[in-house]
Amino acid sequence: MRWKWGMLWTAVAAILAVAVVHAGAQAPSKLIRLTFYYPVGVAGPLAKVIGEMTDKFNKDNPGIEVVPVYSGDYDPTLQKVQTSVMAGNPPDIFIVEISELPTLLAMNAIIPLDDYVKKAERGKYWEDFFPAFRENSTLRGKIWWIPFQRSTPVFYWNKELFKKAGLDPEKPPQTWAELKEMAKKLTVREGNEVKQWGVTVSGGWNDWLFEAFVRQNGSWLINPEGTKVNFDSKEAVEALAFWVDLMHKEKVGPPHSTWGSTPPDFVAQRTAMLYHSTGILTFLRSSAKFDFGVAFMPKSKTFGAEVGGGNLAIARKISKERQDAAWKFIEWMTSSENAAHWSMASGYVATRASAYTVPAFKEFLAKDARYLVARDQLQYASGKMMAPNFQKIREILKKQLDDAVDGKVAPKEAMVTVQKQVETVIKR
Amino acid sequence: MRRRLSHLATHLTVALCALITVIPYLWLLSTSLKYKTEVFTPTPQWIPWPINLGNYAEVFDRAPFGLFLINTLIVVTGILAVQMVTVTLAAYVFARRQFRGADILFLLFLVQMMIPIHATFLPNFLTLRSLDLLNTRVAMMLPFFASGYGTFLLRQAFRQIPRDLEDAAVIDGCGGLRFLWHVLIPLAKPTLVAFGLISLVSHWNDYLWPLIVTDTPDVRTLTIGLGMFVQQESGADWTLLMAATVFVTAPLLVIFLVFQRKFIESFMFTGLKG
Repeated sequence: MRWKWGMLWTAVAAILAVAVVHAGAQAPSKLIRLTFYYPVGVAGPLAKVIGEMTDKFNKDNPGIEVVPVYSGDYDPTLQKVQTSVMAGNPPDIFIVEISELPTLLAMNAIIPLDDYVKKAERGKYWEDFFPAFRENSTLRGKIWWIPFQRSTPVFYWNKELFKKAGLDPEKPPQTWAELKEMAKKLTVREGNEVKQWGVTVSGGWNDWLFEAFVRQNGSWLINPEGTKVNFDSKEAVEALAFWVDLMHKEKVGPPHSTWGSTPPDFVAQRTAMLYHSTGILTFLRSSAKFDFGVAFMPKSKTFGAEVGGGNLAIARKISKERQDAAWKFIEWMTSSENAAHWSMASGYVATRASAYTVPAFKEFLAKDARYLVARDQLQYASGKMMAPNFQKIREILKKQLDDAVDGKVAPKEAMVTVQKQVETVIKR
Repeated sequence: MRRRLSHLATHLTVALCALITVIPYLWLLSTSLKYKTEVFTPTPQWIPWPINLGNYAEVFDRAPFGLFLINTLIVVTGILAVQMVTVTLAAYVFARRQFRGADILFLLFLVQMMIPIHATFLPNFLTLRSLDLLNTRVAMMLPFFASGYGTFLLRQAFRQIPRDLEDAAVIDGCGGLRFLWHVLIPLAKPTLVAFGLISLVSHWNDYLWPLIVTDTPDVRTLTIGLGMFVQQESGADWTLLMAATVFVTAPLLVIFLVFQRKFIESFMFTGLKG
């Protein structure tokens, strides 16, 4: 019987020893592992860039390990975030599209960042971000997330086609009126078939571009708090009437297109001028065989634009310790140097003024000043409209825009319909 | 002579259909071998020149597509294998056994087909989380192990097989499962093959569910890799997207070409003879 007891004691001792060693190995460095969901919005090896950036952060910050998780496009990313949040298992850090802020707040998914922001970079952090980018971060008096991959629509023109049409290739249109005149000259027809469009206002995100036109005409669509809507203003109706002019009456621009197909159209010289995101500049540079320029979008009463893209947020239902670590990562990702690095790698606009003083970025911009146009236009830009159920609002607006440029409804009527329908969505 | 003419007409029509089917794939192949500046030319260019094989190299550099392929194969064959068992057993019961509530139960199976997949995401996610199965290949398979559609399809096939056969089998002393194995399944082979193909292709193409339940590249599938080349803000990276698409669709094409004869045979020799 004795050997049995001996065996038992040996076993107990062995288990204890393993437990002690195990605990010992864990005790000195308590690793906080953070999950970071990110979408990829523009072409390029951005998943790799994010991987390299997080690797660098992890190396410089022992005790924190950020695990980047590619989560598709903006819509799938939102769905992945929502599912995880509802399951009580949120990613610690994530990027989603800026108009979704009210949706995230309605789900109580993220924490305000005011306390962190105030202390960052000796209080000078937040002021350094461009005002237009800051706009979609604040709601109800609090800062909710930090601008990261940010874009804005700009105007592209094909210099060679300008020459062919007898226009000065260095002079893009400055006003809506000039745009219309130039578009007429740049449209090439063979019989009833259009061989070359004068100007393409890209479809797909045409609601985003429409907001810019309304800004240029001196008005707005939804107030920053998301409580008032202003779709049936005189200015908005005029903006839509201008679209109908271009696409339906004069037929110098295609009434329908998709967001992804218009940059290729521009490259194939099927359109001479293009409204699109600044995010395609790198694509155009690598694909176009002709010289092209980037300019401010033409003005009506004023130059105007709004911003787009995604921000960095921290989840609410995680421990304070994890939130602190997550902030450390966000502050690092949005430092001047990293904002500059990210802009060069992705083609997004660098989010902070001081990023443009980083030597490597200065050198990069000296080679191609077209990258500066988006930044310079920011002085005229405002935040993008946001409201709860934003996807629904987009659908309503897009439907009426499409019907109007098809000539199915009058501009005034279309905008009144949008106003009515969006009001009920917001009240709900 | 007239017969020949009608033959010719049939052949021409079939050839035309084949051409229409093949054209997108040829364009895909052509674009995947182009340089970025050659993709969008005012006149379409069918033969890429100069040829650029670099797109394929870059696709593999961006994401571990080999690993994604293995994961996809495991997931789709895993789903198919389990489905074959659950679907035939359920279909057999619904087609050949009478029991109380059979109709209502079958109705529930049909209702399952009408529920949009997105509505099931959250409950399925919660289940997988409580089983601690998130971020595994099993997580991508589990919700699809049973199939209302497959059950429905196979039940109809089983019902069309004459009762006489079953009576004969019973007289010879053949039990339920044996009858299923030796008589029903061989006779319903075309339906099984058809369902297998549908299951294979639809789960090969699954995107949102795998994206939601997985986090790391070691378990992720081909479609997620493909998604990396489609961008909302800037439009796609066409040459790379096409190269990746060739790689993602090629295995399915190969599978079909290899088994093509089998598929067609199984459709031809069926039914009750004599």
